[in-house]
Amino acid sequence: MNKTLLKTILKAVLGLIILAFLLAIPRFVESPYALHMMILLFLSVMMGQSWNILGGYAGQHSVGHAAYFGVGAYTTMMLMHSKQIPPWIGVWAGMALVIVVALAIGSICFRLRGPYFVLASIAVAEILRLSAINLTTLTNGAEGILATELPAFKIGGTVVTDFLTKVPFYYIGLFLVVLTIVVTFLVQHSKLGYFFQAIREDQDAAHSLGISISLYKNIALVISAVLTSLAGSFYGIYVGFVDPPTVLGLDVSVQIMLICIIGGMGTLWGPVLGSLILVPLSEALRSNMITEALVKVGMVSADSKLGLFLKENLSHAHVLLYGILVVLVILFMPDGLMGFVRKLALRRKREAV
Amino acid sequence: MAVFLQSLISGVLIGGVYALIGIGLTLIFGVMRVINFAHGDILMVGMYLTYLIFTLLGIDPFVSVLITFPLMFLFGGFLQKVFINRVLNALAQNQILLTIGLGLIMSNTVMLIFTSDYKILTTSYSSASIKVGGGISVSTPLLISFLITAAITAALYWFLLKTDTGQAIRATAQDREAAQLMGINVKRMSIIAFGLGSALAGTAGALISPTYYIFPQVGGIFTLKAFVITVLGGMGSVIGATLGGILIGITESMGAVYISSGWKDVIVFVLFLLVLLFKPSGLMGKSRT
Repeated sequence: MNKTLLKTILKAVLGLIILAFLLAIPRFVESPYALHMMILLFLSVMMGQSWNILGGYAGQHSVGHAAYFGVGAYTTMMLMHSKQIPPWIGVWAGMALVIVVALAIGSICFRLRGPYFVLASIAVAEILRLSAINLTTLTNGAEGILATELPAFKIGGTVVTDFLTKVPFYYIGLFLVVLTIVVTFLVQHSKLGYFFQAIREDQDAAHSLGISISLYKNIALVISAVLTSLAGSFYGIYVGFVDPPTVLGLDVSVQIMLICIIGGMGTLWGPVLGSLILVPLSEALRSNMITEALVKVGMVSADSKLGLFLKENLSHAHVLLYGILVVLVILFMPDGLMGFVRKLALRRKREAV
Repeated sequence: MAVFLQSLISGVLIGGVYALIGIGLTLIFGVMRVINFAHGDILMVGMYLTYLIFTLLGIDPFVSVLITFPLMFLFGGFLQKVFINRVLNALAQNQILLTIGLGLIMSNTVMLIFTSDYKILTTSYSSASIKVGGGISVSTPLLISFLITAAITAALYWFLLKTDTGQAIRATAQDREAAQLMGINVKRMSIIAFGLGSALAGTAGALISPTYYIFPQVGGIFTLKAFVITVLGGMGSVIGATLGGILIGITESMGAVYISSGWKDVIVFVLFLLVLLFKPSGLMGKSRT
């Protein structure tokens, strides 16, 4: 008893220290690039964690989460671009719309199980993507919406921030990450979370115990979709540009899933771990750091044919890395990194006994 | 009326190629119960193979099917033996993710080698057409590819129905355990099925390469279409996939003419959702638990 209490206190203290550290970062770090990386990391954790609620805990592996991400991003951006509605109001419209979309999708897709559910979720996201391309009057079609001018955020006449640096985005991102993690924690430790997990483990058994399958699946979907839409809105505002492939494409859905799969589905820290691996790795590839490192070590000469080829092409191929990672993780650690670490810890414990 | 007939004919012609893609996917699903999300990417590999053979050796894309088919068969067999075989008993989502990962590796490796530029394979007959009369004309490359598709499909039916190996494959699809008890080497059948599925997808890629843009991400569109076709026909049913392919071809070409070319894919997906909802076993499929 005492030991577990101590552990909880220790965990809480550790969490607070990390949070304080994260809060203090912009005071010491001025490099916009470093802040940009942190914001990308926050975004990735948000996306992964939102998927985790539906996919990890309730076991419904949607490969169509781009739908919610895109609806959030598009609603906020469209309202800001054509109606000059500031994003902190547009976000709510996005979330409201996403609830409607999610319930519509849920009523179709949750009648299906396993592979059929996956296919249906993809189809719905594709319908939304194609609609965004074709409804040119509303969404500006394939050209996308460019809106980089954010109005200053004021409370009672005093300007809180004018969004000129990356610092306000950093704090918004941090706030949203903490929010998603807290929501996941609350879900995990409530009756709701147990219902989700019961459905994941055995749908029929859960049903025979009196758990309303479709109700709880829809609740999981709505929570997951609203959080994903928040992430989408944040992405849209931060980048200042949305177009159908970058927010509604199948790649987005796969990427969202991947964060969880690599880190570990159905665990609170899995998406965080997954993001900590995926974001720096793909950024290193994108910004050609790997080629530069190879050149520095002397493995490849910068002017040789291979060096030039790598420099030109490796940055485009960061998705290749995703592919290799997925294959390796599925084949060798199907429970993700968290599962792998737990297994190791368990083995050590056993050996110690 | 001429417009209607015209779009009906081009729908059927393109539907033949779709059928080939769908049959490949349905064979793989039937034998292994694995949904192959890399199917479109395998098709894309077939397209690039054809492109390579055409530019390096100067062999006509329709003739090069003779090379593409066996090569893609070996490629599929390799994929099954090295990757898919390990997840046959894993959770459905892990199988799906594995094939998604394999597809990403394929498309991005191709992108590294060939860059993401659109490639066009121009033959002397790429834009030729034959006038049938009544104001209707048929695109020559589509017609040739349809004839080849029909021949391959007929040969495949013969193989599955009449040969011992074909019957063993069908037996494995019906009941893996029972087939194994009857002395069928189900592992070998799985390799053959995945090889055949890949060869069919690769061939489809070869057949459309004279009329389609060739680029590394082209597979995604075809993966989704292949699903629609197989679900429409009934997962695991070869006849269903043939019908489904032609039906989707017609739907697309009619949709493009009578509604708009931008919305034709939306129509296909809506049709797909309707089938999933109201007849999940598909047109020809038997309901399975």
